[in-house]
Amino acid sequence: MEPETTPSFHERFVELFEAHFHSVYRYLNRLSGDPELAADVAQEAFAKLYQRGSLPDVPEAWVISVAMNLFRNAATTRSRRLRLLTPARGENVLSDPPPAPDAAVEAEDTRRRVRSALDRMSERERHMLLLRAEGLSYRDIAAALLMNEASVGVLLARARRAFRKIYEESSGAS
Amino acid sequence: MHLDEEQVQRLLHGELPPQAASAVREHVAGCIDCRRRLAEAEREENEVHTLLHAVDDPAPPRISAEAVAVRAQASRVVPGPPVVDLAWLRRAAAILIVVGIAGAAYAVPGSPVREWVHAIVERMGGRPGPTPGPAPGESPAIGAGISVLPEQKLVILFQSAEGDGQVFVSLTDEPEVQVHAPTGAASFTSSADQLLIAVQDPSATFEVEIPRSAPWVEIQTGKGQIFLKEGERVTTKGSKDAVGGYLFRLAPSEK
Repeated sequence: MEPETTPSFHERFVELFEAHFHSVYRYLNRLSGDPELAADVAQEAFAKLYQRGSLPDVPEAWVISVAMNLFRNAATTRSRRLRLLTPARGENVLSDPPPAPDAAVEAEDTRRRVRSALDRMSERERHMLLLRAEGLSYRDIAAALLMNEASVGVLLARARRAFRKIYEESSGAS
Repeated sequence: MHLDEEQVQRLLHGELPPQAASAVREHVAGCIDCRRRLAEAEREENEVHTLLHAVDDPAPPRISAEAVAVRAQASRVVPGPPVVDLAWLRRAAAILIVVGIAGAAYAVPGSPVREWVHAIVERMGGRPGPTPGPAPGESPAIGAGISVLPEQKLVILFQSAEGDGQVFVSLTDEPEVQVHAPTGAASFTSSADQLLIAVQDPSATFEVEIPRSAPWVEIQTGKGQIFLKEGERVTTKGSKDAVGGYLFRLAPSEK
């Protein structure tokens, strides 16, 4: 069946892409620590939405779920076949001015500790923390992670505490 | 009676139903302990979200919706030509030509090539004759896999499921059921409604990808059904991972 690429669908797709692409990319980049992989997977997830030809009930949750599956496949095989476009990076356009040397050292230390804390969390807690940070509702988080919606709040609180605990422990090691 | 953890989190995230929310807010207004817990949860969340920005890409990629749409449309409606390695194509053509010439020479009556071939084969301890091929629909291999387009019903059956092998099942948006054996050896035999996997390595691992669009797919091992997808409903005995996959062990759980 050919996709129903009517102008209204196309316009809605563009609107959705502009509203959510960076959120999906940021989520995947935080998840993986690999900006190229995150860009590849985020594009592929939106391409699949476009190929679908119509918008699902909750498009942003749909894209996140597809992105999660694509990410798992890509991360498992380390395949880079998903690469669609070579992203033009917005260097010196969207970035902040370079920090002063001391601030740069401190920022790098924080970045390293946050990355390490994310990597050391359990997979489910990491996904929960990052999905919530992108503003997904409890219902969408539960759907994406195949879990009971009734306990999302408690598990989110645990995920936050786990992150903070690992992050704070790493201050002694840095 | 104080708020439980779930209520505190839901209040913080605006996830309480309207009626419950007003009752909970009323309680919080008069309970210093719950107010303190709510404030602590909010402070903690703000702190964590601020820290997460530390790993963000300072120069995120600039990709346009139009570019992704055009590419998505092109890859679906007009599939591009397969990428062909020309050097490999030239090598294959050369081999075909040599084989063709040799075959023609072998076929000519009275050709000495025929005698040379027979002499070489006899010296190697065999006689020319038909080579047995694999059974239809069967493909024994190490690290291999198979793709099957699911019909109304498909049963995936793991045979000789002994040892400590594992099966990882995930749902995909692809049209075909795909089974890969990244580690270990297995034979695959497929028919319209059944895919038999003879596990030849006790520690083999399998990745099974099932289309979300598949109407009915069942996975069985020696201990019976371990996974069933009926429409959108999934019934499983496996453990779930955080990204929506299911993990099973092939070994019988009990003797």
